[in-house]
Amino acid sequence: MTDAATDTELLATAQRWSSRALHWLHTRYRTGQGDLPPDATVDFADPDSAYKPLGEAALAASLVLRDGVAGARDLEAARDLMDLCWRQLHGGDLLYERQLRHMLLTDPVETYAHFARVGYRHQPLEDLLDSFTRLRAPNAVELLPNRRLAVANARRVIGLGDRPDWTSLSAATWLGALPEPWAVDWSTGYSITHTVFHLTDWGARPEGLPAAVRDYLRDWLPVWVDIWLEVGQWDLVGELLIVDACVGAPVCDSATWDRLAAVQHPDGLTPRDTDPVEDDPAEAFRDHEHTAVVAVIAGTATLSRVLDASSATR
Amino acid sequence: MPVTADALRDEYADAVERMAGRALDALAGGGGAVVFPDPPSTAELAAVRVLGPDVFAPALMDSRPPDPETATVVASAFRVFPPADGPGAHASPAVWRDWAAGRLAVQAGAVIPAVAAPERPPQGGGWQAWSLAMAQLSALALPGLEGPVHDAARRDPLSLSRGAVRALLRRDHRTAVRLTRWLAWSERAGVTLPVEVPPMLVRLRQIGDGSARSALEMALADRLSAESARHTEKPPPTEEPPSNADEPSTGDTQATGEPR
Repeated sequence: MTDAATDTELLATAQRWSSRALHWLHTRYRTGQGDLPPDATVDFADPDSAYKPLGEAALAASLVLRDGVAGARDLEAARDLMDLCWRQLHGGDLLYERQLRHMLLTDPVETYAHFARVGYRHQPLEDLLDSFTRLRAPNAVELLPNRRLAVANARRVIGLGDRPDWTSLSAATWLGALPEPWAVDWSTGYSITHTVFHLTDWGARPEGLPAAVRDYLRDWLPVWVDIWLEVGQWDLVGELLIVDACVGAPVCDSATWDRLAAVQHPDGLTPRDTDPVEDDPAEAFRDHEHTAVVAVIAGTATLSRVLDASSATR
Repeated sequence: MPVTADALRDEYADAVERMAGRALDALAGGGGAVVFPDPPSTAELAAVRVLGPDVFAPALMDSRPPDPETATVVASAFRVFPPADGPGAHASPAVWRDWAAGRLAVQAGAVIPAVAAPERPPQGGGWQAWSLAMAQLSALALPGLEGPVHDAARRDPLSLSRGAVRALLRRDHRTAVRLTRWLAWSERAGVTLPVEVPPMLVRLRQIGDGSARSALEMALADRLSAESARHTEKPPPTEEPPSNADEPSTGDTQATGEPR
C-alpha cells in the first residue's frame, strides 16, 4: 500500500464512490424524502424514523465541509445538505426544545455538534448545554462506553468547557480492552468503529487513539474487513475503512474499495448488505441512507488523511 | 466408477483418522512411538504419507531422535506411494511433507532415496493465501525440524496470526488449529506474536470438529504452547551489569510478558 500508483487508484475509487453517495443523499433530502413529519415536536414518538438519519446526513455533510478536500460541486452539495437539515430542525430550535424538555437525552447535543462543527450555531442551546457542565445528573446518565465517548466528543466539538478523562473513557470500551481479535461479532464491530470515530473526532485527531489501540487496529482491521467483505456486510466494511483512515497509513488494500464501489447502484445508492434493495424509494432510502453516510465519510476521511500525510512530507 | 471411487476415498479417510488416533495415543502415553498395524494395509501406508512428519511427533515432542520403527514404515509408504519431487513440484504441500518425513526417516537410519526439497516455501498472494498455504504445512511445525518453511514462519508472525484469527472467525476449525499450531511453534522458537495463543487453544477445544486429525494437531499445538510457556518462565539471565543489581526486575518481566 505504499506505492504511489496504488494510492492514486485507491483515492480515485474512494473519491468517486463517496461523491456519488453524497449526491444520492443530497437528492433524497432535496426532494423531501428525508424530511421530518410537518408536525414534528420535541417529543418524537420514534426518533429513529427521520430524526436520526437527518443527524447522520448532517454529520456526513459537516465532515465534507470540515475536511475541505472535495471538489466544488461536492462542497456545494454538502453546504446545501447542511442548510436543508438545519431548516428541518428549525434552525436548531427543535434541538433546543428537546434538550430543554429532556435534559438527560444525549441526541440533541450529539446532533447539534454536527452543525456547530461548521458554524451553524444556536446560542440558547449552547447556554443550556454549558449549564449542564455544573450538574452531576446529565453526566451520570448510564450509557454504553462508546456512546459516552460520542457525547464527550460532541461537547468537545461544540466547545463546551468540560474536560473529560479520555484515557478512562477509552479504557472502558470493548476496543480499549484490546480483546482477543477472534472474539469480535457484528454489533461489536460497530462499537469498535464508533469508539475510533469519537476518540479521533472522525479522523481529525489521530493522536486521540492510544498507541496500543492503534497498533491493535492495524494488526486486525485487515482480518475484520476480509470476513465482513466475504459475507457482504458493505455498511460495516465501509465503517472499518473510515477507521483505517483514522489509524495512520492504510492497512486495507484498494481491492476493498473496488468491491464497495462495484456494488454501488448507478444512482449512487450503496446497499448496506447483500439483501435485495426495495423498489419503493422511501424504503430504499430508509434501508440504505446509513451506508451512503458511511461512504461519504470514508471518502473524505481517506482523502484528507492522504493529503495531510503528503503535505507533511513535502 | 463413482461408487468405487467414493468407497476408496472413504477407506483412505478412515485410515488417516485411525493413524492420527495412533499418533495421539503415542503422544498421550509419553516416551513411546506410534504403534503401527503389522503389516500396514495399503490405505494405512497412504495415511502415513498424509500425516507426513507427524508420525515422528511423539519422539520429537519429547526431544528424542526420530525412531527407526517409524522410519521403516515411512520407507514402506514411500515404496508404495513414491514421494513427489522434481521441478515445479514446489506448488504442492504434499512435497514438503514428503521432504520432511523423508529427512526424519533418513535421520533414523532408513535407506530411502532423498526427497528433493521444493524450490521455495509458500510466498506472495497476500496474508490470506499465504497463511492458508502455511496451514497445509502444519505437520512441519515440530521441534527438531528446520528448513525454508520454518524460516518463512518465523519471518511473518503477523500473517500467521491474521490467518488464524480469520479462520476462527470463519469457523474454519481445521485451518484455525493448524495455524495456531504454527503460532505455538513460533512462540517456542522465540518469536513475539501479536496474539495470545493459550486463549485460542481454549476456544479451539470448545469448538472442535471431532476428528482425530484435528485432535492430533490440537494436541501438538497444546504441547508446543506448554513448552513455550515453560521457556518464558525461565528466570532472566544473571549477567546483568552490576549497576542494575539493586533495581527491581519485575517491571521488565511484565513488559515482555504482556500481550500487545
